[in-house]
Amino acid sequence: MRYGGDNRGRLLIIVLVVTSLFLITLDLRGVQVINGIRTGTHTALTPVQKAGSWFVSPFRNFLSDATHLGRTRNQIEKLKAENDKLRLTLQNRKVADAQLIQLKGVLNLAGKAGYKVVNAKVISQGSSTSFSQTITIDAGTSSGIHTNMTVLSGFGLVGVVKYAYSSSSLVQLASDPAFRIGARIAGTQQIGILSGQGTRKGVLQLLDNSTTIHKGDALLARGSDNGRPFVPGVPIGEVIAVDNSPGAVTQTAEVKFYSNFSTLGVVAVVVSGESADPRDSLVPAKPHPTPIPTVTIYATPGAVSPSPTATK
Amino acid sequence: MSFRSFLLSSPIFLFAFLFQEGFVTQLRLPAGGINLLLIVALIWSALSTPDVGALTGFGAGIAMDLSETSPGPMGHWTLVLIIACYAIAFVGFGDDNIRSNPINIALLTTIGVVASQILFLLLGLMLGQQVGSAGNILFLLAGSAFWTGIISPLLLKVIALLHAAVFGTRSRL
Repeated sequence: MRYGGDNRGRLLIIVLVVTSLFLITLDLRGVQVINGIRTGTHTALTPVQKAGSWFVSPFRNFLSDATHLGRTRNQIEKLKAENDKLRLTLQNRKVADAQLIQLKGVLNLAGKAGYKVVNAKVISQGSSTSFSQTITIDAGTSSGIHTNMTVLSGFGLVGVVKYAYSSSSLVQLASDPAFRIGARIAGTQQIGILSGQGTRKGVLQLLDNSTTIHKGDALLARGSDNGRPFVPGVPIGEVIAVDNSPGAVTQTAEVKFYSNFSTLGVVAVVVSGESADPRDSLVPAKPHPTPIPTVTIYATPGAVSPSPTATK
Repeated sequence: MSFRSFLLSSPIFLFAFLFQEGFVTQLRLPAGGINLLLIVALIWSALSTPDVGALTGFGAGIAMDLSETSPGPMGHWTLVLIIACYAIAFVGFGDDNIRSNPINIALLTTIGVVASQILFLLLGLMLGQQVGSAGNILFLLAGSAFWTGIISPLLLKVIALLHAAVFGTRSRL
């Protein structure tokens, strides 16, 4: 028999829908009780997430290895020759080394710019089912982290602290569709607004249409008042495509972020930036091409065998 | 419907919420990953009466709004899940062709997850949220459908047993 609904059922639906609308209204009006409930929940969840991170890391490493199987085939073949104990040790060492490299990179960047930073491990990556891009780090207000602080990796900007709890913080990634940052192009100092697109690529909208932008230009953060939410001079990404539509009101460009958000292990939160702007000093150096040796073969008619000569 | 029975089901949803926040989000699965709480709530509703479905949606929605990965205001997921869970319960209620067939419930859950996310997106747009590029949205929706299609048949038997234990044996698949 089909459900036709009775008065009690209808009343229940109406009460539930009105309650949810009431909650939305309260939250949008910034009622403290709602924020308190959320903060309490996140504080309670942090130990569970830390335990989950420890428990899940072997499975996550396995999934990561399976994804990059093609690239690490040679490495896997070498590992096959080793015994189980050595393989396990190497696996643990690899994780520690990767985190160390990331930590070194982020400390180098922060030290060059004179930022005072707090390092943190990424303990959780937000589900994309809500169409947002976030990570959770294992440091919070007890470590001096507050909302609207810049978050860095060894390559450049990662995002901004959205919520800070006592021992963890939620970071909005630069790839989040709601993320916006004032950016300038290194060298030419043209300014624009960069917005996330849900992927590793963002869109830069220049404020002045008369200026030009080129593929390969590096983007840096313009900075905010008192360095919050953004400290100046942080490398953001590189222009990979320019939209030169003649009818466009403003010039736009596609930007690839320097940071790879899917492999973040260790990040740093800038708790206080130096008063002086580091200008363009943090722009990553362009890679130098290595000369590839070519082999030229001279064949002489009537000779027995040609002799190869290596030239550069 | 007994309110006591509904309260008895709350530990199941609490467990799903903790498992989702503590473990599933750590796996960093591609294409958006799995939303375990959403899948459990929709399967539970598909096995229940519309009234229980709406209450289930309310409870699961509150939990999802409390998740730190939820970008919207408190009540956003709640409203979406009340509607989605009521609708899925309404479609299945009294129709043994749907309720007695696990494949139909798994299919209904997959459609329900995608429809919930589209509704969440539309409501978010109405509330002024940024949702990103169309390509990324389509990719995430397809990813959700894929993961739900894999996970829901695996969870169905367990949830049906738990549902039968809470509400009686009549709803057993």
